[in-house]
Amino acid sequence: MRRLFADRLVFVTGAIVVLLSALFALLRVMG
Amino acid sequence: MTYNVRSIVWIVAYLLFVLLPLFALLAGSLPPARGFWTEFSAALGYSGLAIMGLQFGLTARFKYVTEPWGEDVIYHFHRNISLFAVALLLVHPSIMFVVHPELFALPQDGKLPWGAVFAFLSVFALLALVVTALWRVKLNISYETWHLTHIALAITAVTGGLLHMVGWSFYLVDPWKRALWIGLTIFWIALVFYVRLVKPLFMLRHPYRVTEVRQERGDTTTLVMRPDGHPGFRFSPGQFGWLTVWGSPFKITAHPFSFSSSATATDGRVEMSIRKLGDFTKEIDKVPVGRRVYLDGPYGAFTIGNPADMHVLIAGGVGVTPMMSMIRTLADAGDKRPVILLYGSKDWDSITFREELEELKARLDLTVIHVLAVPPADWTGERGFITAEVLMRHLPQPYAAHEYFICGPAVMMDAIEWALGELEVPLSKYHSERYSFV
Repeated sequence: MRRLFADRLVFVTGAIVVLLSALFALLRVMG
Repeated sequence: MTYNVRSIVWIVAYLLFVLLPLFALLAGSLPPARGFWTEFSAALGYSGLAIMGLQFGLTARFKYVTEPWGEDVIYHFHRNISLFAVALLLVHPSIMFVVHPELFALPQDGKLPWGAVFAFLSVFALLALVVTALWRVKLNISYETWHLTHIALAITAVTGGLLHMVGWSFYLVDPWKRALWIGLTIFWIALVFYVRLVKPLFMLRHPYRVTEVRQERGDTTTLVMRPDGHPGFRFSPGQFGWLTVWGSPFKITAHPFSFSSSATATDGRVEMSIRKLGDFTKEIDKVPVGRRVYLDGPYGAFTIGNPADMHVLIAGGVGVTPMMSMIRTLADAGDKRPVILLYGSKDWDSITFREELEELKARLDLTVIHVLAVPPADWTGERGFITAEVLMRHLPQPYAAHEYFICGPAVMMDAIEWALGELEVPLSKYHSERYSFV
């Protein structure tokens, strides 16, 4: 269960990083 | 600050460390924007490198960082987030090559720009990192060789990534942005030197001396160690330390073991009970009294202290060592709450601490339930392995009111965690810690 918890942390962190990377790209493109 | 608040603070800090250096690139003067996919790809590259850099911080054994989680969660996160970061760093050039197929073409003079050379170097180092970390045993690489290689490859990957960014010179044209990313990379790599040079230097000046070597049942040896010329450290029962017996603390030969002694000792004395299970531990009974050893600790969140009506300790084999520390500490502190120890062993003769556990019943409301895999013919107790049925036979209801501690082989821990889930014990009420980090 503790490893499952760590996996969830990885998933949430990864999702936030990808979404904010997309936001970075959008901000750049939209000027 | 409670562990929960500290956990949230560290998650926010982690995300800021990953994303702030990326969004800082949007400040000041900017080169003309390229298409969405090119910019997205670049952002993934920067984020991936920041995550890789922070890996040095996750493994730097900062107690304040690891305490709210437990070392096992940190190492599991370290392993899996690195796979995610490597994926980002592979997706980054893949998108670039799809969007800009002209990148496949070599320059007229046939020489790759150095920014590209470092990108290749970084990617190859990353791939080697993943292969050697996931398949170390299959590749027959010794732990020490792997550890040194792991550090060298990680430094190469991160430095290569930074030099690729500087060499490509798109976002890092501004001197302050360049300084920010170079400074961050130096900070990340400095953490390696902190762990491998500063900490060992501290340990070298704060050695321990083995004052007694005790043979226990079940091929287990207890080392009694006292601080040599310093007051030592205080630990909580259930925590562990990294022990270096043969060689200096600068060598990568430290192994994690739980403390088995009472945490109430005021003279800095600590004990570790170690079973012969592998290359390092098979020589442990040959450690001479008087030998100088080095201890880095204490670490781990696997410890008593939360409000509980009773403590349920579930141990398999040598997993009993942190439980012994808890039981001895509770006995020394005069704790009146019941303690139930469910203790799985191979057979009657190999039950480590068997006699002492009987003696401790006089000082503590302690119940010990032995579960034997190979019981003697006249055995009337529990046999086989610790299962949900065994738990239900010996634990009073409501199950969710107790505090559970589990330590033993990974298969056993998986089974017990599953069984507690079936008994509707909430995750916050049970604690387990695994030491198979690699």
